[in-house]
Amino acid sequence: MSLETLNERLKKFVISGDEEAAEKTASEILKAGMDPLEVIEKSLSPTMRLVGEKFEKGEYYVPELLCAAAAMEAATRVLTAEMKGESKEKLKAKKIGRVVVGTVSGDIHDIGKNILALLLEVNGFDTYDLGKDVDSMKFIEKAVEVQADIIALSALMTTTKPAQKEVIDFLNEMGLRDKYTVMVGGAPTSKEWAEEIGADGWAETAERGVRLAQTLIRDR
Amino acid sequence: MVPPWRINEVLERAETGPICLEKDFELKILLPKLRDVIRKYKIEFDPENVVPSDDSLADDVWRAALELYLEVGTYCTSTHRRILFDESEIREAMKNFPGRFVLGYGKDSRELFHRKIEDGRRPFCLFSPDITCDEQLFVPMSMAYLQEPLADGVCAPILEEIEGRSIKAGAPFEIKGSVAHAMMFREAARRVGRPGIFLQSVGTAQSDAAQIAASNPIWGERLTDGRFVASISELKVDFSLLNKMVHFHQYGCFVGALTGPMFGGYCGGAEGTAIVGTAYHIQGLMVNQAHYQNYFPFHIKHMHNTTRELLWGISVTYQALARNTPLISLSNGFAAAGPSTPMVLYEAAAHGLVSVVSGANLWEIAVARNRYKNRATPMEAKMACEVGCGVAESGIKRSEANELAKKIVSKYEKEIAEAPLGRTFQECYDIRKIAPNDDYAKLYKKVKEELRELGVLFIY
Repeated sequence: MSLETLNERLKKFVISGDEEAAEKTASEILKAGMDPLEVIEKSLSPTMRLVGEKFEKGEYYVPELLCAAAAMEAATRVLTAEMKGESKEKLKAKKIGRVVVGTVSGDIHDIGKNILALLLEVNGFDTYDLGKDVDSMKFIEKAVEVQADIIALSALMTTTKPAQKEVIDFLNEMGLRDKYTVMVGGAPTSKEWAEEIGADGWAETAERGVRLAQTLIRDR
Repeated sequence: MVPPWRINEVLERAETGPICLEKDFELKILLPKLRDVIRKYKIEFDPENVVPSDDSLADDVWRAALELYLEVGTYCTSTHRRILFDESEIREAMKNFPGRFVLGYGKDSRELFHRKIEDGRRPFCLFSPDITCDEQLFVPMSMAYLQEPLADGVCAPILEEIEGRSIKAGAPFEIKGSVAHAMMFREAARRVGRPGIFLQSVGTAQSDAAQIAASNPIWGERLTDGRFVASISELKVDFSLLNKMVHFHQYGCFVGALTGPMFGGYCGGAEGTAIVGTAYHIQGLMVNQAHYQNYFPFHIKHMHNTTRELLWGISVTYQALARNTPLISLSNGFAAAGPSTPMVLYEAAAHGLVSVVSGANLWEIAVARNRYKNRATPMEAKMACEVGCGVAESGIKRSEANELAKKIVSKYEKEIAEAPLGRTFQECYDIRKIAPNDDYAKLYKKVKEELRELGVLFIY
């Protein structure tokens, strides 16, 4: 099978969310001698961005997005496993920023946060997803550990959104506020709430969250 | 009589059911089966039939939901196990479900019952702001909702602060806030002269501990009141939710299942949302152990359920339940626009119309994308419920309701993404006299007349 055909097949399997087939095709691509960095940059990333755009336009829903992401992850795992140190460094250098993301303490909802983490990754961010019901201090520990640019805090309940403020309060009291940009989002939050608690930005949807992160990184 | 249906069985299955990762539950168990039943039963959204008149579609949605739930079950995130049932257990629970309950007490008590498609009986109307409010507005806002003549039951706004301190889930101030919520709400009911009205509480309490703290027959939540056991999207629960379920049943109050499948989320589009929504009602009976459901499918981005896709889903879910179960459910509207705008009143009217003709009771209505503090008034709920009661008493058919719904929806569907947020409660109401201001009263009257001209029948 030609390299071009393999590449096209890989794109097709990512779009259709076929994890197994994407993984298998990635192995075949490696065996055929293609540069894994080039495959990631020229095939996988643009394809996933296309899936992200379709989600934003409402042509795809969460299932399509998640299945495509799972297929891309499987292919990326195979491709990066054999990658040399220099290529890995190059891949890392292409990232536009580091984001620590999670649903705040006491909150067990994560769909919005999962979509945001995924779309950030698709759009070139290095994301560290801490999951849901994350203790406020954990956000800070992780941000320090990975030298994050942004801390993104999701909350779905009115009674859990105060935990977004708690993270900002911790940063202030620990003298770390200037080191990190903080963005907040989630159903009960608003621009006014973000301003009230001293966040750097608020986004109504995950897609707008990506735009916000891009702006915040640019303005840092 | 059910509920509860064998509480110990449910709790034990949460600890012994098949184990799987949460991600695998979503992507490898729920999603493939949902796609499978959509294909198998050929469920398809039709924008021209917001209220379908096809009984076989309703029955297919029911069969698809039952098949889905029997295979997928409910995932318990605390134990990473699935709670599964066989069909005979679900049939046993449904056969023993009475289909009617008397809520509240004394002169203010009302009957909540299972409704049929095109049912001529008035729906049970629960009025709720579904939003947070300033501490000092809690009593006036509660009284504004409680004094509405059409309200058979009321749910209070949610407190963000108590005695000037922020209420955070799991923290001691949450318990203080929840107890205050219960006490002030009861006081508000007495002040409007309806001390026995059915109260759904305590929205301020997210944690199990705070819910349990508010149970008290003298000053707090009584046995004649209702409490919620929510779900986690989609088809998931955890120990905190099951703790509430056990406590509410042992305390002896009514239990509601709070379920909102996300259009655009794991459910996908309209078809998946309708099927998962119907399956949620089975989960509500078996796991949440609910006497009734609060059902609020909503759009994942715009937090509403008043466009064609969402209304179609609401209609087919309620028709499926009306034809195939004895279950009781209240349809919870979510409007994109905010108070004192024509759009929110049209959205409310469409939601009340579609829900009631399809077999639902009403829970009205979250507005302004359910996001902004103080941004709700009883006027929006009143519109939805006036339309809903008119639908029932006029005896209109689904086909007529469909034509009306399309006319109403066409007035706002293009504006949904940029819907106006309107005004706050205190901008719409005289909060000392607890009465709507002239602007909003005039707007309400004007929109009501427009709806009447479109063919909507009101009870007065």
